[in-house]
Amino acid sequence: MDEQLNQAPCGFLTLTKDGIILSVNETLLRVLDYTSDELIDQHINSILTKSTRIFFHLYFMQLVTVQHRVEEMYLSLNAKNEEETPVLINAVLNEQQGQQVIACIIVPIRKRNEFENQLLIAKKVAEDAFKEKEKAHLQLEVALQDLEANQKELLEINKQNQKYNLDTYRELQLAKKIQERSLTKPICNDSIHIESYYKASSGLSGDIYGFYQVNDHQYGIILLDVMGHGISSALITMSLQSLFHRLISTGVSASMVMKELDNHLHTLFPSNESVWHYCTAIYLFIDTAKHTIEYVNAGHPPLIYQELDGEQLELYASSPPLGTFENIHYKTKTFSYKKGSRIFLYTDGVSESLEPEPVNSLLSKHSTLSLTHFKEKILQSLKDRKEANYKKDDQCFILVDLK
Amino acid sequence: MNQHVLTRNNVKITGSGKQAMLFAPGFGCDQTVWSLISKSFEKDYQVILFDYVGLGLSDVKAYDSDKYSKLSGYVQDVLDVCSALNLTDVIFVGHSVGATIGMLASLRKPAHFSQLIMIGPSACYLNDPPGYIGGFEKEDLLGLMDLMAKNYIGWANVFSATALNNPDLPDIEKDIEDRFCSTDPVIARNFAEACFFADNRQDLSKVTIPALILQCANDVIAPESAGQYMNKSLPTSTIKYMNATGHFPHMSHPEETAQLIREYLLETSISLEKEDVGGLT
Repeated sequence: MDEQLNQAPCGFLTLTKDGIILSVNETLLRVLDYTSDELIDQHINSILTKSTRIFFHLYFMQLVTVQHRVEEMYLSLNAKNEEETPVLINAVLNEQQGQQVIACIIVPIRKRNEFENQLLIAKKVAEDAFKEKEKAHLQLEVALQDLEANQKELLEINKQNQKYNLDTYRELQLAKKIQERSLTKPICNDSIHIESYYKASSGLSGDIYGFYQVNDHQYGIILLDVMGHGISSALITMSLQSLFHRLISTGVSASMVMKELDNHLHTLFPSNESVWHYCTAIYLFIDTAKHTIEYVNAGHPPLIYQELDGEQLELYASSPPLGTFENIHYKTKTFSYKKGSRIFLYTDGVSESLEPEPVNSLLSKHSTLSLTHFKEKILQSLKDRKEANYKKDDQCFILVDLK
Repeated sequence: MNQHVLTRNNVKITGSGKQAMLFAPGFGCDQTVWSLISKSFEKDYQVILFDYVGLGLSDVKAYDSDKYSKLSGYVQDVLDVCSALNLTDVIFVGHSVGATIGMLASLRKPAHFSQLIMIGPSACYLNDPPGYIGGFEKEDLLGLMDLMAKNYIGWANVFSATALNNPDLPDIEKDIEDRFCSTDPVIARNFAEACFFADNRQDLSKVTIPALILQCANDVIAPESAGQYMNKSLPTSTIKYMNATGHFPHMSHPEETAQLIREYLLETSISLEKEDVGGLT
């Protein structure tokens, strides 16, 4: 072998077409730690790692056979001490003395190989990250679909809710009408004038009243305020209403009216029931022939009686509210009234809404007004103070002028 | 469909004989590997060459990464070609994993095939001690994958083209030599995984047609032990030990290879004729 080639700064090797080593230069022998004798006439397999042998036969031998050249092929050589050396190989297939010979240049690339390994690892990491991203994306899409399905479901539920709300609203409006229909109409004759006002805080009211002409000179007036407000309270007012309507119209005594209503509540709510309700009530029995008023105040705000000269009398509660303690005797009080007197009955929803003005001062301030005008005055005051005294409670009052 | 398959698999038909000879390349190769021997059969046979999808001048757009990650994808290519040409009693010549692909195709549609010529075949490349020596440990084959990865200069471009399977990419008519061994790392790797990690030993006993095994000397890819196992397991087979060395006798020693195939076909046709005669008397 030419000495320059023998000592060239790269490995040099010639092979037969079958891969038998014909010659090898010193440089390559040093890399592989073999002597020339150990390699000549051996198959190139002996200096290839096992993986490289497959690759070499699959690719190198075929390429060199068909294309007569191989460029920049990466291989891994196996030195005598079993140490692997990554190399790049260039080869050509030549005719030499009638024999086909494969001539190869081999350059070890340890550093470059290390670099390429790192590149491949980085590529793998990037690919894995990409796959992860795709996976995450897919999961997100699934989550999004779920979310959309949920939203659709929510919208459907919301639609149902809206329908339910609308249905409920209609029902409440109907119930409100029914409740209002049960209220008695104003009475106005030569001896008495009765006006009233009734307003529910939320559709249905927990307040209820009634006034009845028992005979040509006797009248029964009742005002009740069931605790709470809304549907449950309203249901109770309706049940009480049907009872007091019957009792008062037939002229039952004041104490008996209260007693029966009390009993009714106790029957509805035996003690310690979670749905237990009580109610405050005031009942007046007016005899226009005798000019007397019998009354019972069961836990209700005071009734205000005002005479023509402005003298006022407040009739405070003398018994606890209805439906509280069993076996209570509702004691009737009686007094004589003067012609031209005015009576004001109200629920706490009214007195609280008029604050800070006390109801009695309102009454005295407008004592000269007719009953209808006075009623309008009260309504105006309630309206004026609506913003300031926003309290969600039912409002109800009754005005009576005794002629 | 027929024309579609013929284009897709770059099917080339030559020869003046009646009986068809179908030549199937081995791992990573296209039909040019047969150029040195196929001509010698054109006088007596109809010679059919083809490329697996993803190799040679096949239609790369038909490449399906899932399909061709298993041998069944390549088996389907063979069966598609047979159906498209309406072939029966084909002499199937397969190299390396191409032989296994033909063997599996004959199990699926026996009517297409009459004989299997298996050049350097192996039913399983992995060792399975104590009874079976395929020649390789798993690490060796993983090392091969690494070598393949490191030999694809420009893998980035090719990778993206294949991965995206972008139909808008202009067709690049590569030279046959460029396609000789696929430089697409995805296609090559899928093929490598499909063939080198396959174990088809259980299928050998089911083969119904006769087979010739051509065993090279010093074949590092399909060692003698693999050829012998195959010969022992196939119901009707003959093994011939070649003077040719290496794994590509049809390229390195085309005369010997063609000669052995021809002799085998002659012998079997004579014995077939004898059987026919016997049947008549």
